[in-house]
Amino acid sequence: MSYDNLTALLSLPVMETWMFYVLSALAICLGVGVLHDRVVIRSGFILIGVFGTIAGFFLLLSAQFLAMAQIMIYAVAITLVVVIALMLTNPRLEAERTAEPDDDNMPAMAKFFASCKRNMTLWISAFSFITLYVAISGENRWPVAGLPVAKDQVKVIGEALTTTYSIPFEFSSVLLLAALMGAIMIAKNEPLHDPDEEPKKAIEDSKTQENNLALTR
Amino acid sequence: MIPNGAEVFKLSRLSIAWLSIIFGIVWAVCWSIGVGLPMLLEGQFGERVTLINEILKAVTPIVAILVFIPINAMFMVLIERRALAIFTVRKGPNRVGPDGNLQTMADAVKLLLKEDITPTGADAFMFTLAPILFFAPSIFGSLPLLAAVTNNHDLFKILNLPTGIFYILASASLPVVALVMAGWSSNNKYSLVGGLRSAAQAISYEIPLVFSLITVCLMAGTLDVVKIAQQQAGGILNWNILGGGALAGLNQFFAAIISGQGADKALAAFYPYGGLSYVAALVLVPCVFMSFCLYLTSACAEINRIPFDLPEAESELVSGYNTEYSGIKFAIFFLAEFTNLFVVASITTVMFLGGGDNPIPPYLLDKFTPFPQMIAALRETPLVKDLHLINPETLFATFWVIAKVYSLVFFAILIRGTLPRFRIDQLMNFGWKRLIPLSLIIFVLVVFARGFVISHG
Repeated sequence: MSYDNLTALLSLPVMETWMFYVLSALAICLGVGVLHDRVVIRSGFILIGVFGTIAGFFLLLSAQFLAMAQIMIYAVAITLVVVIALMLTNPRLEAERTAEPDDDNMPAMAKFFASCKRNMTLWISAFSFITLYVAISGENRWPVAGLPVAKDQVKVIGEALTTTYSIPFEFSSVLLLAALMGAIMIAKNEPLHDPDEEPKKAIEDSKTQENNLALTR
Repeated sequence: MIPNGAEVFKLSRLSIAWLSIIFGIVWAVCWSIGVGLPMLLEGQFGERVTLINEILKAVTPIVAILVFIPINAMFMVLIERRALAIFTVRKGPNRVGPDGNLQTMADAVKLLLKEDITPTGADAFMFTLAPILFFAPSIFGSLPLLAAVTNNHDLFKILNLPTGIFYILASASLPVVALVMAGWSSNNKYSLVGGLRSAAQAISYEIPLVFSLITVCLMAGTLDVVKIAQQQAGGILNWNILGGGALAGLNQFFAAIISGQGADKALAAFYPYGGLSYVAALVLVPCVFMSFCLYLTSACAEINRIPFDLPEAESELVSGYNTEYSGIKFAIFFLAEFTNLFVVASITTVMFLGGGDNPIPPYLLDKFTPFPQMIAALRETPLVKDLHLINPETLFATFWVIAKVYSLVFFAILIRGTLPRFRIDQLMNFGWKRLIPLSLIIFVLVVFARGFVISHG
């Protein structure tokens, strides 16, 4: 009455390889979807799928605890905060910004800087991708540890966090605390000057526009 | 004399009948897929079908849950409506079928036949995905619980995860995303507000919920739900609700008194620091009981039950996130809500109320009743020996689990009938200013008090 045959079938190396390719294809497709989707909030929701597939990678590496933590913290809590923050952004600003002045008669250097500024996200992602690629495919590629997988992973992680890595762990928690306090400061920030006439008018204009939009829908 | 005793009697008769129907069907399905069909195939084809048999056994738990969920939700809707009618002195459903007992079946048929409408301007893909994402976690999230409540039964052994309770919590946090998704994709302001409210509420109440469960895991020394359930075996004093194992020494003491040897030694073994240990045990008992209450409260908020049903406050938001849903999608939301209530009750049973354990300790039970002989006799009958129809080890555990889980469900219904809905600011204040500090204080107290008592972990 054991599951030996089925487990043997599922733990074949070829099965693991196939699962890896399926999961990575899914992760890459969803990642492209996050970048490509026109509706910002929907791309926020697609992010959940990306984090979920990464949790699948952790499961393939038999790191169950990390996979659960990935789902609970990244796929749900953080993405939810991201989605709610995205709902507070104004999608119309994006549409207005594209109408920039034609800069044919600018000097070459200024043109280059302007294009850099416009494509900031692209450059940052290209830079981080190259850094990661160099780091990963360097001299000693993937140091494979010969140790067997620990039976009680939670214990191993807990011990590592409270002994070997206790200082980085504490520093990261202090950093998070500082970020939290900073967020509260920004959120509680009172306006330095009274809003004058022009912004008010702009707000009203945008409101009427919104109403028109809703009506046409 | 109870004033509406006839109604209460009818309710209890109805629940007993329904529960026997539900668990009879689930048991029959489990047996036929997990035991009967493999036995038949093996008798017919011999060794060649071993793989098929193993696959059949592996899918048994999932099939069992899929069969269980719709019947259980139908029962719970009916029992909730009838119980609420008794609490508020009304009649309740009394038109469809004998005494209104077929009301939920009529509702189910109506929901399945209704047209499935996607509103104009809605994000159709997300609109369809949301109910699925809401429902799926309640199926696969409750799988480790099955292993825990059946005491690692042979059919459900495959579900036993070393990170059991963390897995359950992770999958229980997924539906929140689905609610926000449903609210946003409906293209309706009320839905959106309902979705955002549910997100705010779930994030706030997740913290005390996790802390209260961590307290129990700390006392147990493991995250494995099966181990936690097994540790609590042996009478009500061993259950986690009473100090998370702090009274296990007392239990041993009573056992020693009954058997008449080494009574003083038992106490010294479990409370090694004398008076300090007794103080620690006295601190642990109310602390863990309070974290039980904390768990029930924040779980109520997590699954949007009254008095925390702000996301679907019908007086303010029409129906909240599911305003625009109709037909089968609404039915899925509905099913998932009742399943979540059941899952929460099962988690409470496993983590605090000892799983399938008898509240009367075995040293009393075995001395004065013929239960061990009964089980031994049962093991010899052909039904058990040849057909494996009944597992004598888990037979009584099953009855206890059902009784405990449905008592908690009834308690939730009682709360629904008693308390009014919170306002959103009251809800947030209650969560952040009362529950979270309380859970942190309990956690710290338990961390220190645990060192002085020999408990489960």
